[in-house]
Amino acid sequence: MPPIIEIDGISKSFGAFKVLDQLSFNVAPGEKLALIGPSGSGKTTILRILMTLEGIDSGDIRVAGEHLYQMKKNGGLQPADENHLHTMRAQIGMVFQLFNLFPHKCVLDNVTLAPMLTKNTPRKQAEEQAMQLLEMVGLVDKAKSMPSQLSGGQKQRVAIARALALQPKIMLFDEVTSALDPELVEEVLNVLWRLSEETDMTMLLVTHEMGFAHEFADRVLFFDRGKIVEDGKPDEIFRNPKQERTQAFLKKIIAAGHRV
Amino acid sequence: MEWDWAFVIEILPTLIEGVKITILATLLGSALAAILGLGLAILRRSKNPLMAKPVGFLADFIRGTPLLVQLYFIFYVLPDAGITLSPLVAGVIGLGLHYATYTAEVYRGGIDNVARGQWEAARACNLSAFQTWTRIILPQALPPMIPALANYFIAMFKETPLLSAITVLELMNQARSIANFNYRYIEPITLVGAFFLVISLVSVIALRWLERRYGRIEER
Repeated sequence: MPPIIEIDGISKSFGAFKVLDQLSFNVAPGEKLALIGPSGSGKTTILRILMTLEGIDSGDIRVAGEHLYQMKKNGGLQPADENHLHTMRAQIGMVFQLFNLFPHKCVLDNVTLAPMLTKNTPRKQAEEQAMQLLEMVGLVDKAKSMPSQLSGGQKQRVAIARALALQPKIMLFDEVTSALDPELVEEVLNVLWRLSEETDMTMLLVTHEMGFAHEFADRVLFFDRGKIVEDGKPDEIFRNPKQERTQAFLKKIIAAGHRV
Repeated sequence: MEWDWAFVIEILPTLIEGVKITILATLLGSALAAILGLGLAILRRSKNPLMAKPVGFLADFIRGTPLLVQLYFIFYVLPDAGITLSPLVAGVIGLGLHYATYTAEVYRGGIDNVARGQWEAARACNLSAFQTWTRIILPQALPPMIPALANYFIAMFKETPLLSAITVLELMNQARSIANFNYRYIEPITLVGAFFLVISLVSVIALRWLERRYGRIEER
């Protein structure tokens, strides 16, 4: 099967700081990919670029065979316009570290908003679909609650349901448990397990939960200074890292008390 | 000098006509300032510097010159360019435009207070720019600004006597013509003060209520 995401030599700088340096990798459909590495290594930037929250300086990205930042027009390629980005974004969902729920809308409205506004889904249908998603994340009884009434773990589960409401092919998870109290981490990770069992969605996870990445991912990318240092099966990366920098990083993580 | 109640009763209907115009000018001016201010705030945020810079300069220019000068300009100078406006329309435009530059700052602060993550979540939900503004950003930004906006509208109300300079028959102008005609100042001018005081006090009570209702920033 052709890759669903093809990243081809992309570079990105913030001022003088080069976050991504000629980065290339592919993601197969249905693959669960964990992106790990020290902070500032560019792993979150990759997700933000795929969600079109940041642009790229050079290189090419294709999602499901289509250029993300370019569109075909008059037989050539041109920078993508808002319409093209709108079409491309519909295939991608994102869950943020700080949830970013809409605080002025109840849980149900958070989940129905995007389908109703971007796909003209009728309210009744959008609500039925939203209730199914809330069922999956275990929050049916909170449908009418406001986000401010929820715990961090519950907020993050609503955020996952909201991202799923547009039925994306690709889900991006940006450190989704980093802002949670330790006892709330598991309920969110359980939702990810359930999602992987019930769908064949492609998932990219930036995470510091090494134990979870080890068990959950099909493949792990270790990032450092805007480059992929190591790319392999979780067992290879976590049990038998080949690169010195990967070894040093994992040693630090284990010293900090994380389970690998 | 003696207070003459009979004179008060005689001039009251004329003054009430003036109060009506004063209130009308304030309401229309407030509506214009609310809408124009939002437009200025949004245009100033534009990523295109050819849009943001001139709008910013225009706002600073208007805020940096006196309202009275602007009113004279709109009413007495624009006709030379072929634009003739009735006194009330010129007055409302003057008030609205001048206060829009203040309300724009309120809007700017309120919009900046909406977390960046809200813009990003809106984009991840694939909302258009218009939907992001109307469904996500403004509903969160507006309620906390309502007390600050209302404050400017009370300030605007107290500046409406300036409209007498361009012949709008608002409260101050009516009082002055009565006074000049009868050579009696104490009753008309005292009544003007009383009217402004009463309406201001009522507005302040309404403002306190708005502050309780909308002023607290909701927990995110």
